[in-house]
Amino acid sequence: MGQFIQLTVNGLTLGSLYALIALGYSLVYGVLKLLNFAHGEVYMIGSFIGYGVLQVVGGAAHPSLPAAVLIPLLMIVAALGAGLVGVAVERFAYRPLRNSARIAPLVSALGTSFFLQATMLLVVGARIVRYQSEKLVDVGSGIHIGLLNVSVMRLLVIGVSAVVMVGLNIFMRRSKLGKAMRATSYDPEAAQMMGMDVNRVVMVAFFLGSALAGVAGVMSGLVYNRVFHTMGFVAGLKGFTASVVGGIGSIQGAMAGGLIIGFAESFSQGYVSTTFYDVVVFLVLIGFLLVRPRGLFGVAELKKV
Amino acid sequence: MQKKTMTVVVASLILTAAACSSSKASGPATSGGGCAAKIGFMGPFTGDAASIGQEQLNWGKLGMVDYNKANGTAFSLVETDTKLDPAEATTASQKLISDATIVAVLGPAGSQEVEAIAPAMTTANLLYVSPSATRTSLTAGKIPTFARVVPNDDAQGPTIATFVSKTVGAKKVLIVDDQTSYSTGLADSATATFKTLNVTVVRESIAQKSTDFSSLVSKVTDDTGAVFLPWQLAANAQQLGTQLKEQGKKAVVVGSDGVYSPKDFSLEGAYVASFAPDVRGVAAAAPVVAAYQKAVDDKFGTFGPPVYVAAQLIAAGVKATCKGGKAGTRADIVKAVKAAKLDKTILGGPMALDAKGDVVGAKFYLSKIVGGKYTPVAG
Repeated sequence: MGQFIQLTVNGLTLGSLYALIALGYSLVYGVLKLLNFAHGEVYMIGSFIGYGVLQVVGGAAHPSLPAAVLIPLLMIVAALGAGLVGVAVERFAYRPLRNSARIAPLVSALGTSFFLQATMLLVVGARIVRYQSEKLVDVGSGIHIGLLNVSVMRLLVIGVSAVVMVGLNIFMRRSKLGKAMRATSYDPEAAQMMGMDVNRVVMVAFFLGSALAGVAGVMSGLVYNRVFHTMGFVAGLKGFTASVVGGIGSIQGAMAGGLIIGFAESFSQGYVSTTFYDVVVFLVLIGFLLVRPRGLFGVAELKKV
Repeated sequence: MQKKTMTVVVASLILTAAACSSSKASGPATSGGGCAAKIGFMGPFTGDAASIGQEQLNWGKLGMVDYNKANGTAFSLVETDTKLDPAEATTASQKLISDATIVAVLGPAGSQEVEAIAPAMTTANLLYVSPSATRTSLTAGKIPTFARVVPNDDAQGPTIATFVSKTVGAKKVLIVDDQTSYSTGLADSATATFKTLNVTVVRESIAQKSTDFSSLVSKVTDDTGAVFLPWQLAANAQQLGTQLKEQGKKAVVVGSDGVYSPKDFSLEGAYVASFAPDVRGVAAAAPVVAAYQKAVDDKFGTFGPPVYVAAQLIAAGVKATCKGGKAGTRADIVKAVKAAKLDKTILGGPMALDAKGDVVGAKFYLSKIVGGKYTPVAG
């Protein structure tokens, strides 16, 4: 029973991170119908930005700010930094190809992914760096009741992810920009004819999606501690899987997909195999593609004939 | 940044080398003056194990500079990056093999890499000396051109298992390999000894590239006395240890030599093995350590100093084959390096190889992490 509870907590933590990454895929796919395969790299850069800020304020062992101020600061700076990277990627790698064949931006996305990875290798080197969050917040602190052990960092990940996802949902439904994004997603030409600045809407989608990846990167650094220049590949792949499972283009789908992939990974590690857990994760994806190709919350695309 | 560091290293080394007590080679009395040769240098200079690779790179260069200064030779190192990846190592080895001016190779670091390049290196009759590959089977006779300057896992597995059983007092142990040749071999070796000591062993396996070990940690039962990690990435071991604490598990973490890294593994109360002593405590190594600290930093573990010794052992062997300023054939060098002997090394004793290419009189060391510092407990 203890193991089940712990695996549930682990799955929730992992799933929250995957959901935040998946949201980036969904936001961009929603407005551009583009698979932004450089998104995992933006997550990695966000994690490094958080690490950089942490070093600037003295490192986890001797921070010049209290943890309660420092952790939100890391997230805000990483969100802004990753958001700007996302905007730059859209401006230089995708916008010039917007009217090209669909394969062109896809190739550009893959190239951008390698470019960002190589750039970070050049800038920060190949070493794995550690946030050393255990020095910032005692890993023994948090909720420890009977068989339930949830550290403060895990509570933070779950809590922040929930708040961000709810906030994004409200933003998409109630704000003018959110409505513009939904309208562009539905019919970009009609949205443009109605006076909407599609370029601006696309830019906002990239900024928001990338900012969420930046926040996820910092939270990954705080919980899992390891940050390295290739970390975005697998995380990006899992985030993409989550968005497909949930229904790519759907905000609620990204959240649900993230949690499904997180739980699949956690429980398969716990009860199946620590060696083959990724097989289980991708079997879930294959299962969805076979049974419900549009994902949990995806809507079948209508075509005029 | 890396280039700048290396420039400082090389410049400082040239200035300080004369002051350093460097190993004098014993062997045939040939004049080293003017003897020049290129020696390949394979290591994980980038990639996940770059912290080890950069340390090895710096110590290897220092070893060669010191040897040249002390012996009047002009040996140079040709670096090739392996990323601790057998595929990359194979490509790197082909590059070195095809260069006829390369007479021997220092490296690679990992057992899986040594195995991967074995067929090509054997065919090319090119000697390679690893400063850190410990898998026992590497010197079982199938790779005639291979040698190493560190003990093998036949020594490490039993040393750790006996220590965990008798000193730590664990009756049940979880062994987690990281799916590499080094790790599975060492896990097997330790498992065999644990069984003879009537310790219950539970085996798990997780990929080296994993970032989250919390689900694995949730499998650690309350009666598990120790978790043995025969891993190559210290940061991974640190993370697993942190997650053990996070989930309130009391099992003691014991890391293999691959985890030895004061910079990346500082889990309070954990034990860690090493195939070499901390050279800061070796009197004979003091001038070399001071030169290294001045040129690079003091944050080195036990992966670097054996590279210094390996560089000097190879240099001694190559020098022994030199005639008219030219090194002997690759075949001559295989024999000469295996027969070479360093009377005094920075590891605290002499260095000589047996017929299989293993170190004569090698042993493992164990340290406990207390207050963030590695304190020797057995050896």
